[in-house]
Order: sequence, then C-alpha cells, then structure tokens
Amino acid sequence: MSLMATAKTLLLASAISVSFSAFASAADVGAKPVQGGTLIYLEQQPHTNLYPPAGGFYPNGGVLNQITDKLTYQNPKTLEIEPWVAESWTVNDNATEYTFKLRKGVTFSDGTPLDAAAVAKNYDTFGLGNKELKQPVSEVINNYDRSEVIDPLTVKFYFKKPSPGFLQGTSVIGSGLVSLKTLALPFDQLGDATKIIGSGPFVVDSETLGKELTLKVREDYAWGPAKLEHQGRAYLDGIKYVITGEDSVRIGALLSGQADFIRQVQAYDEEQVESQGYKIYAAPTRGVNNSVVFRPDNPLVSDVRVRQALLHGTNSAEIISTLFSANYPQAKSIIASTAQGYLDLSPKLTYDAAKAAKLLDEAGWKPGANGIREKDGNALVLTAYESPPQPQNKATLQLVAQQWAKLGVTLNVLAGDSGSKTVDDLDPAKTPVSPAMVGRADPDVIKSQYYPKNRDVLRQKGGPSDKVKSFVDDKLNGLLEQLSSEPDRPKRLQIAGEVQNYVIDQAYAIPIFEEPQAFAGAPYVQGVGFEAVGRPSFYSTWLAEH
Amino acid sequence: MTRYFISRIGQALIVLWAAFTISFILLQAMPGDAVLIKFQNPEYGLSPEQLAGIRAAYAADGSLLSQYLHTAGRFLIGDFGYSLQAGVAVSAQLAADIPPTIRLAGFGFLVAALIAVTLALLANLQGVGRLRSIIQSVPSLFVSVPTFWLGIMLIQIFSFRLRLVPVINPGPWEGLILPVLTVAVPISAPLAQILLRNIDKVLTRPFVAVARAKGASHGWVLWRHVAKNAFLPVLTVAGVLFGELLAGAVITETVFGLNGIGSLTEQAVNFQDVAVLQAIVVLSAAAFVTINLSIDLLYPILDPRLKAGPETVR
Repeated sequence: MSLMATAKTLLLASAISVSFSAFASAADVGAKPVQGGTLIYLEQQPHTNLYPPAGGFYPNGGVLNQITDKLTYQNPKTLEIEPWVAESWTVNDNATEYTFKLRKGVTFSDGTPLDAAAVAKNYDTFGLGNKELKQPVSEVINNYDRSEVIDPLTVKFYFKKPSPGFLQGTSVIGSGLVSLKTLALPFDQLGDATKIIGSGPFVVDSETLGKELTLKVREDYAWGPAKLEHQGRAYLDGIKYVITGEDSVRIGALLSGQADFIRQVQAYDEEQVESQGYKIYAAPTRGVNNSVVFRPDNPLVSDVRVRQALLHGTNSAEIISTLFSANYPQAKSIIASTAQGYLDLSPKLTYDAAKAAKLLDEAGWKPGANGIREKDGNALVLTAYESPPQPQNKATLQLVAQQWAKLGVTLNVLAGDSGSKTVDDLDPAKTPVSPAMVGRADPDVIKSQYYPKNRDVLRQKGGPSDKVKSFVDDKLNGLLEQLSSEPDRPKRLQIAGEVQNYVIDQAYAIPIFEEPQAFAGAPYVQGVGFEAVGRPSFYSTWLAEH
Repeated sequence: MTRYFISRIGQALIVLWAAFTISFILLQAMPGDAVLIKFQNPEYGLSPEQLAGIRAAYAADGSLLSQYLHTAGRFLIGDFGYSLQAGVAVSAQLAADIPPTIRLAGFGFLVAALIAVTLALLANLQGVGRLRSIIQSVPSLFVSVPTFWLGIMLIQIFSFRLRLVPVINPGPWEGLILPVLTVAVPISAPLAQILLRNIDKVLTRPFVAVARAKGASHGWVLWRHVAKNAFLPVLTVAGVLFGELLAGAVITETVFGLNGIGSLTEQAVNFQDVAVLQAIVVLSAAAFVTINLSIDLLYPILDPRLKAGPETVR
C-alpha cells in the first residue's frame, strides 16, 4: 500500500516536473539559443578558388566567412572597426604605418598558432602577391610595402603612400587569415576547400567537388569578435552546403522542408516565400550601386550632353517597380545610402524625358528616318553585355533599352559567352555601355570601381585594356588618388562627396538601385548574421525546435 | 579477327588524336582565354603589369605550337593540368564527376531500354486492339518532352508536393530515382520507335509465317523469333544515343544539382576553362569510340550470321 502511494507520488511529481520543463522550454523559444543541428544551406554556384582575396565571389565569401577570422571586425550596423584577432591597433598620422596587437591563444585548425609571423606572412602575400605560387595581390590593399614582426603578438605594416583604407581592408571578406600551410600551396590548388585552413568557428570536414561541402564546428573556438554578444563555439554542429543551380528547386526545397537557408532569391519569388511564413533576408552590399556606366572613349558617348540625356532618360523608379521589390531601394548616388561617405544626389538624378530630348538635340543628335537619332551619318546605337551575377540584369538592361528607345536611342543587350564578353567588354568601341556594381563598406570602393589601375569601369587609357584610344580623366583620377590616401577622415569623406558629384555631373554612371544580397530562411533559423557587405555569417546561428 | 581488332583500335587512336587536336585549335580560336576571363575580370582588379606576370606564369603567352606540344605531352602521361576556375587538378574533378555520370547514364539507359521493350511488347500483345495506336504514339510524346521541364515537373510533384523523395541530401539510391527517370524518358522514345517498327517488319517475314504454321503461339513467336531479330538495329542506335545521354546528363545534373561530367562541362564552358574542356572532349571521344567498338564486337555474338566472316558466305 505504502509502496503504491510512493509510486503514485513519484509519478505525480515527475508528471509535474515534466510539464514544468515543457512549459519552460516553450517559453524559451526565441530567446535562448540552442546548441546543435546541421544547417542545410543551398548555394546557387559551386565555390571557385578559395584563396582569401578571391572571397568577393559570393559562393566563396559564403564559405570563407565561416572558416576564417580577420584581424578586425566591421560592425555591420555602425560600420565601426572593432577588435577581432587584433586586440588593439595604432596608426601613424599619415596612415603609412599600422601596428596591430594580437589576441593571445588563437590557433589555426591545424594546431599552428595565429601569431604575428602568420599575420605578417598573410599580408605579405595579399599585399605583394607571390609570383612563384601564382598568388595574386588583394584588391583591397593599396600601396603595401612590407611587414615587421615586433614580438610574437605584435605586427607592424609599412606602406609606400598613405593608406587610410587599410584598417577597414583588414576586416573584409578578402582578408581572411589562413595557415602558413595553406599559403605554401600554389594558387592552382586552393580551390580544394579541405586545404583552406583558417582559425574560424567552423572547419571544412569534407567536400564533393562541385556538389557538396560539409563544415563542422570547432569546439575550442574562443576568439569571436570581442564585442559580439555570443562568445565561444558556434551553436550549430555543422553546415552542409549543397549546390542547387536551379532557382525553383532551391525555393521548393526550402518551402518543403528539405533545406534551412538558401542564397539568391529573385524579387519575383519573394512573395511566395514570405506568404508561407518564411523569411527574406536582403542584406545590403553597401558599395557602388547597381548602375549603368559609359565608356567615353567611344565617340558616341564622349559628349557629356549625350550621357546626361541618357541619365535623365532612365527611369529607375519604373525599373524597380516593374522588376524588383522594396528590398531594392532606388539609388540616390553612385554609392548606396548605407555606404560610408554617401551623399544624397537625388536632385541630380531626376527622370525628365523632355530635358533628355533637349540635351540630345543640343548635342546635334537629330531624329533620323526610322526614329533613331543620327549625327554626321552615324546612328546612336549602343551595345551592352548583360552581367549574369547581378539580379535580373538582362531584364533591367532591356527595360533601360525601352526607355532609351523613347528618346530615339537604341541599346542592344547581348548575352554572349564569357570569352567574347570579356574581350569585347575591354573595348569601348564595342561596348560603350556596361552594367556595373561592387560591394565594400569603405570609400575606397569608389576608387576600386573607377580608377584605371583597378576595375577601370570607364575604360581609361593606361588601364588593363589596350583598346582604349585616348580617354583619360585626370581630374577624376586625381580625386580618386586623394580619396585613397587622405589620412584625415572628415577630409576623406568630403573627397568622397566630391567624387560622387563629379561622376554624376559628368554622367559617367547612371545609378539604378542599391543592390542587396537576397537570402531566404526557414522560420526556425535564428541569429543569421551578415558581414558589412552581405556575406552570411553562421557563427551565432541556431536552429529553434521545428 | 585479330587483324580486324588491331585496325579498329588503330582507328580509335586516330579519332582520339583528331578530337584532341581539333578541340585544341577550336578552343584557341575562341575569343579570350581562361586566364583573361579569370584575372582580367573586375573580380580581381589587377594592374596590367600583374596581369602580364600571371600570363607568363601560365605560359598563356607562348606560341600556339609550343602550347600544343606542351599540352599533348602532358595528356600522354595522363596529366590534365589544373582548372583555372575551380583551382583544383582536372584529374581530381574527373575523379569526382565521372562515377556519378556513369551511374546516371547507365541506369538511365537501362530504364530507357526497359520502357522501350515494355512499350513494344505491350503494343504487340494479343487483344490490345484499339489501345495499340495509343501505345504506339507514346514514344512521339516522350521524345518531345524537354528534359529540363520533365526534371522540374518530377521534382515539383514527387519531391515538393507529395514529398516522396527528397532532392536535397537524398540517400544514394533514393537520389537516383528522379534523375534517372528524367534521363531515361527522352532516350526511351527513339529506342521504342525503332523496336516497334522492326517488330512490325520482322512479323511480315516468311519464317514467322512458318513458325506460326508449325503451331507456335503468338507470345512464343514474338519472344523466340521476332524479338531477337528486332533487337539488332536497336543496338546500333544505342551506340549513337550515348551522345544524347551525355547531353541529357548536362541538363539533368544542373536541374537536380548533381555533380557529374554534365555540370562540370557546363561550368567549364561558362568560364572557358580550357584545361577542363580539353580533358572532357578527349574523354568523351574515348567513351564514344569504346562503346561503338564494343557494339561492333558484340554483333557476331548476337547474330550468328555475322560470325562466319565474309569468306564463308555462299
């Protein structure tokens, strides 16, 4: 009898405690992260070479961001540079010497220390390249001279000219630190993810080339960015990347519960995803806006009035309302409103068809027989190649072409294989117009885009193209050089403003929208972070009960 | 027989050499090259001096003949070089991608043959009556279904709506069901058409009448006498269909997100990754040659009339 009673009490007690804990865990959902689980992440394209400076390619950035750490962390909200592997740093007055004090006890996943010598070797490689191993230099490091290891935890970098963008450059996706073993491999072998040894919260576990990549958590990870709330190991046990090229398959797989998170969601699919309670993440890329740029070396667009006419003849509001969504804000300058040094130039970017027609008349382009404007026997027929990585770029260019057609200007939009596209795109005579976009949260990004020795979107003489006959804009180049070497921050941002004004006044570019990186995730996926230019970070991500 | 065998192998080697040389010339004649596409792209933002350095490092600046001899020499010792785009050895990519494609193509072909034979036998069953013309029109339907559409439909219905088979992270066999069906359906159509036509043709032959007169049942005649004779031309077509199978694999692998020679080719073409393309062309040529060679050698086994050789024909 007493035994029965005891059993009953026990049962009752355990029942109460069970219901109690059930209640508690229900209340926890959405608050306390749970550890464990593998995130199934669908990527549109396989990663290519994982040499860290090649991290700009989104599939590469999506991998490198999980397996490597950087010297500094750029807070995606404030864009301030915060400590990460570097605990603190000092910069001399003219920004030619940077000294970083490193955090103690950081190791690469092969067990070797991430110390001053390793950091120095990484930056010597990224800053100068390695001819023997065919490793190219990094786009984000300008005027690099050399490094100096002061003590095991202190490293100093010297620059030939002031390089105020370097501090931010240590935080970007292309500046992930890798083990000396990885840097000793020839460039040709760095497409094998298992050979990329970083110090990040995840480690490459296995890879099926072109199909799957599995990362597993690093249990002893204890050096996340110091100001993050989450410290210690990542919540997830692992991440599985599955290459799924077909848009409809990625979305269908997400909505049918076969995947947790997907990259690249087109604007027209957003509604379908959100209507089922799934979440769209539109991470801003904070750089040069999605634009159409001109190559003024081509006589058809060498007249500033023609370019201005096309600028005012482009209705970006219509493009956005037709093809995109609220996640694609209309451009108000050549750089995004979330970018550093941004200046609102929307009064200069108005759509005004009458003004456009007047400008073309003034420039001497008169409507010809078939409605296309002509001058000295030449028709105003322009050509551009679509850029497949940009969202709905072909449709965007075709809409631009329709808008220009109303002015009597023809824009041919070509697809082309990557070979002829790359060759033709270097020749302003063949491609007077081109789509352009690049993400980076530092004013240096403007220089990256326009400077002849960098991306050279305007195709100037002295740039990578040998087809350019004469076009050089010394004023622009002078401003860009100042921009990348002005150590005083307020002055630097002021120069950034001048460049924006100048590019728009010259109508070198027609900014259209601020480009996001669109992802979609299941409702139970919590804590997905994005670095400053839209690469996902799964360090603080966890999977709620589902 | 041995002489025949040796001359056939000699022909095969010549075909391989020609495939290598022609593809080399064509790939060189295309505008741009892999080094240009990879490094002169905005992705890297390299200066002209750095570009020149990289071109020299990849020997992309040498003469055409020296590049040809260099590449041919490497191929002879089985070194296919490195994929510039993916940053891994081409041999590693091939090792990862050939087995899945063989699996897909092999099962795809088996299922296609199964569908074709089933259709042909169904159409010739006694008592099919009016259904026969419907069955006979199935191959024309199958041949006009676009592969990518079929693939997406199968995924949408069986994976996303009915949730019967996952597309993401399926088991090794589970993952083959839908892709194999996608590959098999368009391939089964020409096989079934030829089989149907041949059965009709063979049924009119005198020996069938003789067999029937001896009292053989319809099924016996069909299986013992007609089928064997109707299969021979199918075998010839099967060799040719292999090419179509590879083409179907490109689309199927892309739609289903499978790795394989198809998706590898697609990527390589996109980035003009010459080393990869060259290896794929030579390998495909080798596969083609091998398959057709083995079919030719199979003929005498299946058809005793061919075994005797030309001298003994009376």
